[in-house]
Amino acid sequence: MKPGALLDDITARALEFRWLRTALAPASPYGDRIFERIVPFAPGEEAQAEARARRVAAIASGFSSQTLDAMRDVFRNAPDASNAIARASMGDTLSDANLLELQRFFDACVRLDTLTDENAALPRVASAAVVESARRIELGRAGKFGFYLADAFDPALERARSSLAQAQAEYDAARGRATAAIATLLGREVEPNEFIVMRADLNGALPDGVRVVREAPTYLLCEIEETDATLAALDRRDALATAAAAAEETVRRALTDAIREHAAALNAAADAFGEADVLVAAARFTQTHDCTVASIVSEPALHATGACFIPLELELEKEGRHFTPISIAIDDVAVLTGPNMGGKSVCLRTCGFIAICAAFGLPVPASNAAVALFAEISWLGVGADDEPGGLLSSFAREVVRLRDLLKRDRRPLFALLDEFARTTTPREGKALLVAVLKRLQAIGARGLSATHLAGIAPAAGVRHFAVRGLRGIPNRPGTSDLHQALESLASSMDYTIEEVTDEAAARSDAIALAALLGLDERVITDAYDVME
Amino acid sequence: MHVDVGDAILRLAQETGAPSLVVVGTGKNVGKTVAMRAIYRAAVARGIAPGLTSIGRDGEAIDVGDAQSKPRLFLRAGTALATARDVLPASPASEMLELSLLQTAAGRLAYARVRSDAHYELVGPPTASGLREAIDTLLHHAPYAIVDGAVDRIAALAGGRDAVVVACGASASPTIDEAVSDVRALVARLSIARYDGREEALRIEGALTPSRATQLIREGEKRAIVVRDPTQIALSGRGALHALERLRVRCEREIRIVAVTVASIGRDRTFEPRMFAHEVASATGVPTFDVYASERAA
Repeated sequence: MKPGALLDDITARALEFRWLRTALAPASPYGDRIFERIVPFAPGEEAQAEARARRVAAIASGFSSQTLDAMRDVFRNAPDASNAIARASMGDTLSDANLLELQRFFDACVRLDTLTDENAALPRVASAAVVESARRIELGRAGKFGFYLADAFDPALERARSSLAQAQAEYDAARGRATAAIATLLGREVEPNEFIVMRADLNGALPDGVRVVREAPTYLLCEIEETDATLAALDRRDALATAAAAAEETVRRALTDAIREHAAALNAAADAFGEADVLVAAARFTQTHDCTVASIVSEPALHATGACFIPLELELEKEGRHFTPISIAIDDVAVLTGPNMGGKSVCLRTCGFIAICAAFGLPVPASNAAVALFAEISWLGVGADDEPGGLLSSFAREVVRLRDLLKRDRRPLFALLDEFARTTTPREGKALLVAVLKRLQAIGARGLSATHLAGIAPAAGVRHFAVRGLRGIPNRPGTSDLHQALESLASSMDYTIEEVTDEAAARSDAIALAALLGLDERVITDAYDVME
Repeated sequence: MHVDVGDAILRLAQETGAPSLVVVGTGKNVGKTVAMRAIYRAAVARGIAPGLTSIGRDGEAIDVGDAQSKPRLFLRAGTALATARDVLPASPASEMLELSLLQTAAGRLAYARVRSDAHYELVGPPTASGLREAIDTLLHHAPYAIVDGAVDRIAALAGGRDAVVVACGASASPTIDEAVSDVRALVARLSIARYDGREEALRIEGALTPSRATQLIREGEKRAIVVRDPTQIALSGRGALHALERLRVRCEREIRIVAVTVASIGRDRTFEPRMFAHEVASATGVPTFDVYASERAA
């Protein structure tokens, strides 16, 4: 899953694209290959994007989470047989490991089809080629999951192996007799390979048939020589081993030919298996995060009700807190104001995340949504600072990114500006931001600009949204515990976003927040005095 | 005393109840594979079809590291093995049991069962965790596992339930005294006693390193020094003996050493076999065997 031109690195980082990729990752190498080829739908492909999201949603609603997890297990445990199929089609003879891979892959296809139960949203993978190929190698099934080039494949193989086993037994017997005879003569156990005879223990010469490999002052390192009888048995065994090897290779060749005959169809089955893996991963994501299919609209816009930024939602859940869903309708470029920690940046990220999901043909984390496909989604401002910028200041980096963005001119653009120009003087920052918003309007971009600067919306002639903010002054916690402070803030904050017309209503609640976070009370009092 | 060494060691190992046996050595070419082969043969003679693997590369005709000839592994039908799939002989065909994603020095690991007697090469996973996984998987396919281990991968013994055989030999040390000292240090290190919880203890997170041991000795530490298991003692040779004599090192999980084997034949030198075996037995206090001589040290 590649962002292509939809996101640059900074935007991908700000909108947690990597998290999304990981959450959607398939479980098998087949799925990985398909997943790597996935790119966002482009403007004009609205029908395809929505159709894919509907397909994912149909899988999510058509199967229980347990069934989807069982499918994930099938994908996870399926070995990668693609290399074996490729080798067969190139004319190589398959190894027994390759044949086991194929057998397991065929088993996985059949098992998956059983689980999908002819649900039309998922492809059937056990095609006729899979069934026929599986039948050809089934004789090799050893136990439930193993593979052995069994005698049953070819009577000639059975005969060759039987003769070899007989010859091996004859050699073992001859060798065993020789070893036992020498052990008796030496009056002790001897290793059949190399063994030591202590000179002090030796009465006279070594028995016949014992060869000295190495002499040391106190002992002799010996081995048992092959006799005429054992040598003859060995020759016979080696000749029969060669014949058995040839018989085995004949069977492998025949099995390889059977696979090669269906190679194209087996590759198609492997692709379908991978596609199913990717779809099931997306469906599981949809179930887990309660996503819905957005209407993919051709007019650039993003409307969402009850939208969530899942990475943050999960983080909050870990701390026993909850995410307040966001509702917003963006039909142009708008300004978003509100208190510190009121969720302005989260709102931007939520909108960006939903736009990304829609672009990849996924159900979106919202109760209801209508989203356009954008040519580019771009994040400017807070969050871009951690990009190494050499000699450039954070302001200069923002400006350079904006310059490049306008130069690329990919339309329609979805722009998310988080406190753009916050690091310069408020007067010039405001002037610059107003001009940028006018320009974005002029090129037909859509998006949101979160800012603490006052009077931006009327000056730029754009709509103005605001987070409602604190319901009164939150209680200052008795301790300096940050977790308590955040809980108190969350319970006092109204995160509702609404369009406002009264510019004077915008406020930051910064002093109240500073108090909540434990700043010295004298400083807080002075700050309120200054405000008055 | 002449004995069937493989059988004697196997009996000692099985008396511990451990489902697997790992042979580790004090160095290269100290007879690990020869010991493993003898134990394997004894298992087969008793009707046990064991599972085999290695933490290095064993059973090849020529050592790929130094081009010297190596003891080969002739395996009997029924034996399970974990080895690199690329070193499995095409013929005679083996029963393929499982394919693993674990990597070895010769490619991915496979689990197979010998169906026709033949020579095999063992190339197991190089990591401690990989080896543990291989042993656990082998035990699904075999009633008993025998492993050709390596002293520098001794961490593989951590968390396991293996019986351990320590191999020492003339190849690894220039004199008998040094060979005895090395094996004594290794055995002392691996066989430290379990912490009984009754005495005051200093628990060491991670490894007991030479610098930490030196510091504790200098400070006159009298408490029991408790490590997770003996593989966490990162000391060797005389340094290990020095530290273990001065500190009361204990572990939470013991390693069960059941035997020591000696190989008096080195590539560049030989030791007097009975003297060597006797001195090793005296120094370690562990049953000591000479596989080549089919003897147990008095």
